[in-house]
Amino acid sequence: MEKISQSVVKKDHSPKMGGRSVYVADYNTAKNGDGILTGKILHSKVARARIRGVEVPTLPDGYYYVDAKDIPGDNNVNIVLDDMPVYCRDTVEYIGEAIGMVVGPDSKKVDRILSEIKVNYEELEPVLDLRTAKEAFFNYEYGHGDMDKAFAEADHVYEEEFETGYQEQTYLETQGMMAEPEEGGSMYVHGSMQCIYYVHGAVKRVLNCEPEGVHIFQDVTGGGFGGKEAFPSILATEVAVAAKKANAPVRCVFDRREDMEYTSKRHPSICRIRAAVKDGKVTALDCDVTFNAGAYSTLSAVVLQRGIIAAPGVYNVPNIHVTGRALKTNTSPCGAYRGFGAPQTFFAIEMMMDHIAQDLGVESLAFKEAHLAKQNDPTSTCGKYHFPVPVQDMINEVDKVCDYRKKKAEYSKPQTGRYRRGIGMSMIFHGAGFTGSGERDIIKAVTRLHKYADGRVEILASNGEIGQGVRTTFCKIVANELNLPLEKVFYDHPDTARVPDSGPTVASRSLMTVGELLRRASIKLREIWKDGEEQEVEERYRQPDFMIPFSLEKFEGDAYPTYAWAVNAIEVEVDTLTGVTKVLGAYGNFDVGTPMDYNIVMGQMEGGFLQGIGYSSIEKMDYDDKGRIRNNSFSDYLIPTTKDVPNMQCMLHVEKFPDGPYGAKGAGELPLVGVPGAYLEAVEQALGGCKKHKLNHVPFTAEDTLKELMKEAE
Amino acid sequence: MVRYTPVTLEEALRIRAEQDVVPYAGGTDLMVENRKGVTYLFLNRVSELQQISEDDTYVRIGSGVTFTQALKSPLVPDLMKEAVSHIAAPAIRNAGTFGGNLGNGSAKADSVLIEYVTDAKLRIASAAKERTVDVDAFYKGRKQLDLESDELIAEILIPKEGLDDYYYQKIGGRNALAISRVSFAGILNKEDGKIKRIAAAFGAVADTVLRYKEIEKMLIGKTAAEAGELKEAFIQKYADTMVLTRGRVSAEYRKSVCCNLLRDFLDQMI
Repeated sequence: MEKISQSVVKKDHSPKMGGRSVYVADYNTAKNGDGILTGKILHSKVARARIRGVEVPTLPDGYYYVDAKDIPGDNNVNIVLDDMPVYCRDTVEYIGEAIGMVVGPDSKKVDRILSEIKVNYEELEPVLDLRTAKEAFFNYEYGHGDMDKAFAEADHVYEEEFETGYQEQTYLETQGMMAEPEEGGSMYVHGSMQCIYYVHGAVKRVLNCEPEGVHIFQDVTGGGFGGKEAFPSILATEVAVAAKKANAPVRCVFDRREDMEYTSKRHPSICRIRAAVKDGKVTALDCDVTFNAGAYSTLSAVVLQRGIIAAPGVYNVPNIHVTGRALKTNTSPCGAYRGFGAPQTFFAIEMMMDHIAQDLGVESLAFKEAHLAKQNDPTSTCGKYHFPVPVQDMINEVDKVCDYRKKKAEYSKPQTGRYRRGIGMSMIFHGAGFTGSGERDIIKAVTRLHKYADGRVEILASNGEIGQGVRTTFCKIVANELNLPLEKVFYDHPDTARVPDSGPTVASRSLMTVGELLRRASIKLREIWKDGEEQEVEERYRQPDFMIPFSLEKFEGDAYPTYAWAVNAIEVEVDTLTGVTKVLGAYGNFDVGTPMDYNIVMGQMEGGFLQGIGYSSIEKMDYDDKGRIRNNSFSDYLIPTTKDVPNMQCMLHVEKFPDGPYGAKGAGELPLVGVPGAYLEAVEQALGGCKKHKLNHVPFTAEDTLKELMKEAE
Repeated sequence: MVRYTPVTLEEALRIRAEQDVVPYAGGTDLMVENRKGVTYLFLNRVSELQQISEDDTYVRIGSGVTFTQALKSPLVPDLMKEAVSHIAAPAIRNAGTFGGNLGNGSAKADSVLIEYVTDAKLRIASAAKERTVDVDAFYKGRKQLDLESDELIAEILIPKEGLDDYYYQKIGGRNALAISRVSFAGILNKEDGKIKRIAAAFGAVADTVLRYKEIEKMLIGKTAAEAGELKEAFIQKYADTMVLTRGRVSAEYRKSVCCNLLRDFLDQMI
């Protein structure tokens, strides 16, 4: 193992394990010693309505009701299209939408006032069914080759539809944010978040002030998984407006039910795929991807982009046509969650390939292997796989660990008896970093290293620690390059008053992109290092020269500089009496490039893998015919525990990326993205294969399994 | 805030008679509920309620006995241990009690299912008197118990005989920290080649645990061959009789699982 990969004690280990970390809910007083007012949101109780009026009872002294009328700037949260209001306009568009906020010193009184407010709704017909939803926030299309010819010449044409559900991030710490008016008139907003500069931009717009008028700080954050990419911008604007009105510190921390019901989740999806097959090979893929965006567009544009780019999977198919739509429904806006649109489309293509193989009577792994993209092959968007594609080697390594091919053959024989087994394998990539030319054109990351006279080096960047270890791995890179002990390098939680904008904490770009900037900055500092002096160096993003420029209008060019790869196998045993599926083994092989810390990476791989298994099996969340999510608690929305997958084996395959620090690529999304395809293939095999039971949706619950088996009985 | 922490059962019963209190055993449900404005009668210091003993007929489990304690006791029957071992997770089994599992009034209570299938009795005490009640009579409906405001559950009496031949299955939403979605326990004893006793109980599928002694009679006294012939009719009788509620899973799913497990129980035990 390379020196940089050797595990260290995480920088935040001791304060977190010792209970000394201060989360936003933990502050007893504001920065200036003042008492903190509690803010609670008046959520819409209906999915779609015109607000005729809000009757607020007479408020005691020191209590405030805050709504859109109190916004100094304009009532739009800056995310992508900025269509989401801070507090509702004249209509509400989903259950949970913020109508206003009640603020005051005593949280029980705030609750009472909230319960006494009467909202006069003129109810309108909500759009809830993704299949009949018409309003598209985004509508994309791309492709290459000659589709008509490929379908005309095909021996077989297959058509199938795949569906995926919600997934809730279930970070340990719920959403929470606090705003404090500062001396000199600026607004200090801090809390649980991934992206301080996103929050900065959003609050600035809403308060209608100069950049200096807003000051954002990331408090210790108890997990994000994407859920704290966009929603904190919304909550931050809400508390900032409230703090402005009350001219006092205001904090709003969601309870678990609010968080599960009203904040962003993974987009439910429907993917329709048509495939042309000629001489045993897939010659054309026509993919139609539909995402349920919810009531406002928030991050759906970028989630959908990543999703549709991945629609043809890891395969080299000569003719491709992909369409993608993010449709509006009157439900909570969906957002980022580990994988960002890709789990949905990879699920569809992996199942499709498996089903075609079964229909052709060939082994599905061999069929997939025959279509794998290789180095220098074109990507779905006519970019290029510039670097070696290690998938075939990774498949062989997984096979070695779990005897995949042998088990696959054995389980394909007819099975009888109560318990039946199956195994499945999926292969995916994660396009590392921002989609397209976003890094170059939008983010333009800047980092600095500040050296103190005593020889300590501080990293100045805007990427937040959310459990992924960035406070530690950034320091390891800098310490390694400067040949300093790790204690001499530190990286605090980012504060917009102190750090440049090195971009958001998303897409596994932090280590690959910002980490490399820090490595280059370290070299600069090393070259000018003078003992006893205070020194500072800066480094800015440069797009690698080899990239084929990406056009977002045409979806053409290199969508990503490089790819991280994953191959997963999952082995299951289905109980035919109860429908319960037991995971006998979960085997993951992950190419994150050079791991920047072995333990941190393995922790990510195991955790993400388990999240993927939950997404595929038990994590079922849906809304009712009123648009309400009923299972909004941890007793009703279950996530797997370690007892559900006692046999999990993760391994790393290293294919270095020359433009990442020491060869590092992205890690975070990788272990989750491919799981549904492997899981459902395994369950389907246990039930007798797709000619008997064609499975095409996740989560696939015990109840779903039993329904399939009952069809058999009839 | 007023709270009571008696150390003897007598003292606990006196407070129960005189005050409006909520009995608090392990607190694994009450802590989460976090009810406002109630006075708790903490029972965790009443050692009389924390004993496991036996007499000629019964294993007697004190209502304050925790699940962990039961799992370690040589007196507690294996069937009860198996059910209890699947409750939640170690921390909750360390605190949760048999009395609390009953008192919470849920049809999902894993130890209560076993009390139904074994024909267990409950010793109910008040300052004025003591009485013994069958567990199925104790449950009058969803969250409705035959327990007066001055009474406490003191002991669970499980008949000792014939518990070795059992069948048990719990289906939760996951393998740990899971509330039962369907649970099933069966007992079948044979004597001279004939079925002497059969009991089948279903948990988490209706307002109370379900057991139908009338249907069970169909198979009593039958030989294996006779029972085999009656099997489908027997299962059909359950399917026709059981009225199940929907919860985290559908009523249809629950019914299929109940019938599947009943059939498997019969296949294995007859």
